[in-house]
Amino acid sequence: MKATQETLQLTSEPKGLAQMKKVMTAYAIDLIHWAYITLVTYKIIYQKIIMDLRNPDFSWNEPVYALAMGALLAIAFFFTKLSLGRAVKGLYDLDENQGVLREPFTILGYFTLFLTFIAGLFISQVSIREFLSEAGLLGAKRIFTALLHPNFGIIEPAIFAAIETIYMAFIATIIALPFAFTLGFFAARNLMNGSPLFFFLYNLTRFFLNMTRSIEPLVWAIIFSVWVGIGPFAGMLALCLHSVSSLAKLYSEQIENISDGPIEAMTATGAHPIQIIWFGVVPQIILPYLSFTIYRWDINVRMATVIGLVGGGGIGTMLMQYQGLAKWNEVGLLAITIAAIVWVMDYSSSKIREAIK
Amino acid sequence: MTQKILEVEKLNKVYPNGTHALRGVSFDVNRGEFLVVIGLSGSGKSTLLRCINRLHEPTTGKILFEGNDITNIKGKPLRSLRSRIGMIFQHFNLIPRKTVLTNVLTGTLARTGIVKSIFGIFPDEERKKAMDLIALVGLTGKENRRADNLSGGQQQRVAIARALMQNPSILLADEPVASLDPATSHSVMQYLKKVNEELGVTIICNLHFLSLVRQYATRVIALKDGILIYEGNPSEIDENWFQTIYGEDAVEVTID
Repeated sequence: MKATQETLQLTSEPKGLAQMKKVMTAYAIDLIHWAYITLVTYKIIYQKIIMDLRNPDFSWNEPVYALAMGALLAIAFFFTKLSLGRAVKGLYDLDENQGVLREPFTILGYFTLFLTFIAGLFISQVSIREFLSEAGLLGAKRIFTALLHPNFGIIEPAIFAAIETIYMAFIATIIALPFAFTLGFFAARNLMNGSPLFFFLYNLTRFFLNMTRSIEPLVWAIIFSVWVGIGPFAGMLALCLHSVSSLAKLYSEQIENISDGPIEAMTATGAHPIQIIWFGVVPQIILPYLSFTIYRWDINVRMATVIGLVGGGGIGTMLMQYQGLAKWNEVGLLAITIAAIVWVMDYSSSKIREAIK
Repeated sequence: MTQKILEVEKLNKVYPNGTHALRGVSFDVNRGEFLVVIGLSGSGKSTLLRCINRLHEPTTGKILFEGNDITNIKGKPLRSLRSRIGMIFQHFNLIPRKTVLTNVLTGTLARTGIVKSIFGIFPDEERKKAMDLIALVGLTGKENRRADNLSGGQQQRVAIARALMQNPSILLADEPVASLDPATSHSVMQYLKKVNEELGVTIICNLHFLSLVRQYATRVIALKDGILIYEGNPSEIDENWFQTIYGEDAVEVTID
């Protein structure tokens, strides 16, 4: 009995190695954190604010020096209370009743956030002066006046374009549905941790979904408009691809949140894995799925408008053409049409989703 | 009949996180027994039950079911083993949004084809049997109600009917009354007793309340920190044993 216990303990991972890994990760976090502070302080606080340089020179030495500086600072502060990495990896012995809001590393975190805010103001060139300049205000007035006097002469083509947009979004959603449904299961951790093969498939699916989702539908629309030519089909393909990855992600998260009880019960009856999914998983996810899908259609209608701007067809393309010709009265009418579609879709999709809850 | 239906030998279970849930547990179960497993929460009762139908994999040790070693079987043999061991749970684990009848019919999944079961095509005799079992647990007239709209006690009875649908030789019950009120607890236990005595199904049941144990068990085993520390008649659990099992400061709470 004692012997079995000892052999069993050997199989679990040695504690020293796990601790080592934690310390390494904590140090890496600290290194990157300090390097970031160094770089932002030098490029923004020193060069832009103190020296007031318009276009400071850049050389690749700068980030390298910043990393070296980060490595040094990370070592210097690693054993003080200023190590964010140790805090993240839970390596501090903290008094649980105290909370962490007043700890030095939290204050350092606030400082980094503040630094990022300042850097953000400079990089996005926030300027009150330009916002309120006379020429600027005149231009804004001209456009707003035109927008408020829309040209109703083009109402007919505008409505046709709007219909094209809505149907394009609908088809994109419907075609994406079966793919997303299938991929959703493969991307759900709780179903896929059974064997190494399943886990490999899980990682592969996640990788594919993250890749396609991280490329904006706008970029996909450009790619597809070269591939299949400018028009609604290109827009539909772009929306479809993006819908597959977003829906599959949402679906898989829904699967990960279901209760294990019915799955356990179905397993205990001796059911086949497919039956376990059909009876233990599907009844739990069917309504959230419907809700997500309708919401997705709503999103797709809005996105279809944007995608039209790069030649994806529908009302967006029409908007782009009139905007290019600076015909602001026509643009005004299109803007009103788009607002109307978005409002109607938003309203009806939320009503439908409420009804099926 | 005193024939052994289940033999557990030196069962050890270590979870991946290092928790040592069972330590060298050995016991036999005879056909027709109502065996109750007692012990504190975390003493390994649930793990033990789940090792028997292999919902959890034993780390070392051996389990014999009707004389056959089932410790390492996989795939179809494992599914057919599970189909012969019914199980009910503390939280009932019924399928939400499905009717009572559908829930009971899921007990036949192991012997129904995959495609047929997906389209909900169950043979007439299975439907008839399901209706009979729903009547047996006293739920006639509720066949087409949604299972998640029933009360806790009724849901547990649906779960019993579902388990019986498997024609089990053994019924595992994992704290079947822990989330029910005292009156409902007795009613559910009465149904388990009926199943045990009238249908001759062997029952292995985890329980918390000693008063229930004394009333329903034919034999008791007790676990403490994963070790089997008591095996015997329910009437023999006196004050001393009670404190050994539940700790020095424990006071017995009764349920009437």
